[in-house]
Amino acid sequence: MPKLLELQSIGKTFPGVVALDDVSIDLLVGEVHVLIGENGAGKSTLMKILSGAYQSDSGSLSIEGIEVLKNDPKKAEQLGIRMIYQELNLIPELSVMENIFLGHELKLKGQLFLNKRSMYEKAKEILGKLNIPIDPKIQVKHLTIAARQMVEIAKALSSKAKILVFDEPTSSLTSSEIKDLFAIITSLKATDVGMFYISHRLEELFMIGDRVTVLRDGKKIATKNIKDITIDELIEKIAGREITEIYPHKKQTAGEVLLDINGLTSEKFKNITMDLRSGEIVGLSGLVGAGRSEMARAVFGIDNYKSGSVTICGEKLVKKNPKIAGQKGLSYLPEDRKEQGLALPLNVRENIVIAGIDQLFPNHIINTQKETQVAASYVEELNIATPTTEKLTRFLSGGNQQKVVIAKWLLTKAKVFIFDEPTRGIDVAAKSGIYGLMDQLAKEGAAILMISSDLPEIIGMSDRVYVMSNGILAGEVRGADITQEKILELAFSHVKGELITDETA
Amino acid sequence: MKQHKKPFRLSNLPNSLYVLFVVFIAASLAVPKFLTPGNLSNLILQSSILLLLSFGMSLVLMTGCIDLSVGGILSMTGVVMATMLRMNVPAIWAIAIGLLTGVLFGTMNGLLITKLRLPSFITTFATMGIAQSIANVVSEKRTVYWDPKPSNSLIDTLGKDFIRIEFGQTAKEVLTISYLVLITAVVITVVMLLFNKTTLKSRVFAIGENEEIARLAGIKTHFWQIGIYAASGLLAAMASLLVLIRTNSLQPTTGEGLEFQAVVAAVLGGNTLKGGKGSLTGTILGALALYSVRSALSLAGIDTSVVMIVIGAVLILGMWLNETIQMYEERIVGMLRSILMGRNHGHNA
Repeated sequence: MPKLLELQSIGKTFPGVVALDDVSIDLLVGEVHVLIGENGAGKSTLMKILSGAYQSDSGSLSIEGIEVLKNDPKKAEQLGIRMIYQELNLIPELSVMENIFLGHELKLKGQLFLNKRSMYEKAKEILGKLNIPIDPKIQVKHLTIAARQMVEIAKALSSKAKILVFDEPTSSLTSSEIKDLFAIITSLKATDVGMFYISHRLEELFMIGDRVTVLRDGKKIATKNIKDITIDELIEKIAGREITEIYPHKKQTAGEVLLDINGLTSEKFKNITMDLRSGEIVGLSGLVGAGRSEMARAVFGIDNYKSGSVTICGEKLVKKNPKIAGQKGLSYLPEDRKEQGLALPLNVRENIVIAGIDQLFPNHIINTQKETQVAASYVEELNIATPTTEKLTRFLSGGNQQKVVIAKWLLTKAKVFIFDEPTRGIDVAAKSGIYGLMDQLAKEGAAILMISSDLPEIIGMSDRVYVMSNGILAGEVRGADITQEKILELAFSHVKGELITDETA
Repeated sequence: MKQHKKPFRLSNLPNSLYVLFVVFIAASLAVPKFLTPGNLSNLILQSSILLLLSFGMSLVLMTGCIDLSVGGILSMTGVVMATMLRMNVPAIWAIAIGLLTGVLFGTMNGLLITKLRLPSFITTFATMGIAQSIANVVSEKRTVYWDPKPSNSLIDTLGKDFIRIEFGQTAKEVLTISYLVLITAVVITVVMLLFNKTTLKSRVFAIGENEEIARLAGIKTHFWQIGIYAASGLLAAMASLLVLIRTNSLQPTTGEGLEFQAVVAAVLGGNTLKGGKGSLTGTILGALALYSVRSALSLAGIDTSVVMIVIGAVLILGMWLNETIQMYEERIVGMLRSILMGRNHGHNA
């Protein structure tokens, strides 16, 4: 098969992180080339360089033997490179067909007015081919996550595509939808399209892939034909070490109940009952949009709930207020640490004391020297890599930012920690630092709820796992039952087949 | 295969429709002189000026930015045109240069915001002051008049009525549509046509929702943003021309505070400060609602200084109505569903 694309010696550095280091990869005509690696291994960065969203610091890109000198999104599109991103890139207020043709609308003669009729017909045709029963005129905001994913694929196929990149396309699809997707991919192979396929689900790549490239910490580890490699070899290459090593948490006997959630209900989730005991790390798994973060926010008092109760260390929370929840010993480390967890323009000291400032200074008179002492002690204890406590947090790496957020809650003497995606977007070394810290907290008697979409992390760290599906607590798994299959089965158990969220007809 | 259809929702209609409805009924009942051909003619003429400003404002808001300089641009371009008329420049040239000034000033706003990456609120706040000061300096803070001459007879002609229907003898019984209203109608029709029939809507919604998505789709985001600001400047200059024709003179402070009204009309129409959505039809209704309130107040003999209180209240009423209708609708739909389908959908907890 002829070569469609070649990326050579690509290097890319972000402040504090080497995202890609001398990575070379190629793509053949009609091939599905799977990219695999842990979060932060550099897969998405590599694909963003391909699509022109990022510029590489070094290396070259050539398509069909011709070098592409300065890549940008427009150029990549002209070259026939299409991305189907992990996070959805649709405009909710526009219709399905307007989204499908965004940036390359069909126009009437004269190139000013839109040819809405042919856009409609063409969109219908594409959706029909993909077997997606959606009206092209409906606004995307009325669609479910799965339907939006389908529209993303239709969008990628709406103009002549040579190279398609799927970035974890199945993370929010049901098994029947995945089957449809694979049928589409197989038919695309026959039309000489080359595809990169990023996934965390190992079983998928054996079903759909031709070759696989493993990335780890920004470096290429190996490229192999799928039929020449076993799943165990692959896991070893991905992790680069024994799996148990990264997850230090040893199961131990749980103590008293520290957090008791009883029948919690809002518009986003229904009748959630769970408890957390001292010394435990409990995983909370589920698909994106299952209502996990929403539930956590309600428990912490950020968002309202309709009924149910939250009890912390035996005391029932009467008022729904984060400040009171914090005083009672609950802490919440949000998913989006840059938006919600940290004040990025402030320095390490200011971020560490921000939530515990009332306890630290009961008279409301601030003593900066004392703040510095306190902050410095946490910097040392948590091994935060920063030259001084005065360094602005936006200049820290993701892992160290996360540690600052943890320090902030340690200062408030929190007993119950809700970690929402604690290791998203941080490198492996920093991850194991965070895991070590979580283990230490549990050993010291804290109770930890870890919300995570990273299944190996859930499986490796949790004493038991709750799984939410479509706003409902689908079940709890313990001990030997904590497997990828069992968790996924529960995660999909309440997902409906409907493509439209709030049909009111 | 079942086709999913676009759901119809009450809350998808612009809230300015409800506000206009409420305001119009209330004004008609409370103020006898309100619902007369004469007053309605006047209402439409007055709202024309605001309509042009708030159309530009709506487009800017849809991209997730704001243009506070529209009032300043109105004053400045008005002074430019009026001064040139005073210097006996032919009207057509005065108008052309005035409109061009508006475009250039708007382009400058756009360049500052995109190329220098300045926040739009502060940038246009600053350029508002600059434009208004230019107007004050050039006019020496005095109303600019000019002598009627053949070279500027165009201004006179455009000030005349296009349609005049007499229902009776008195002024309030005469329905008039002036050329100014006609100009406005043409302009807003063109803008709406461009919005709905070209890529304009997709572009502004995409940029307002997420500039990165727009960029990745190969859209030249800076080009569009600068264009939108230029359009806002042009529309402000057109509004200024309307003022100039109507008053046959120009006060240099004429645009002060109009940016506030333009925001009110646009926001009433369902445009948000976050961008990514919005409606031009809503803006038309919003501008009409706003001027209905003003007209009713002035007819009722209420002091003009109260106007801002009422406009503020109307804005709050509009937002609240939309929220309420949304909530109310969910309950109704929820109840209907549970009755029709014989099961509880949880909307009536």
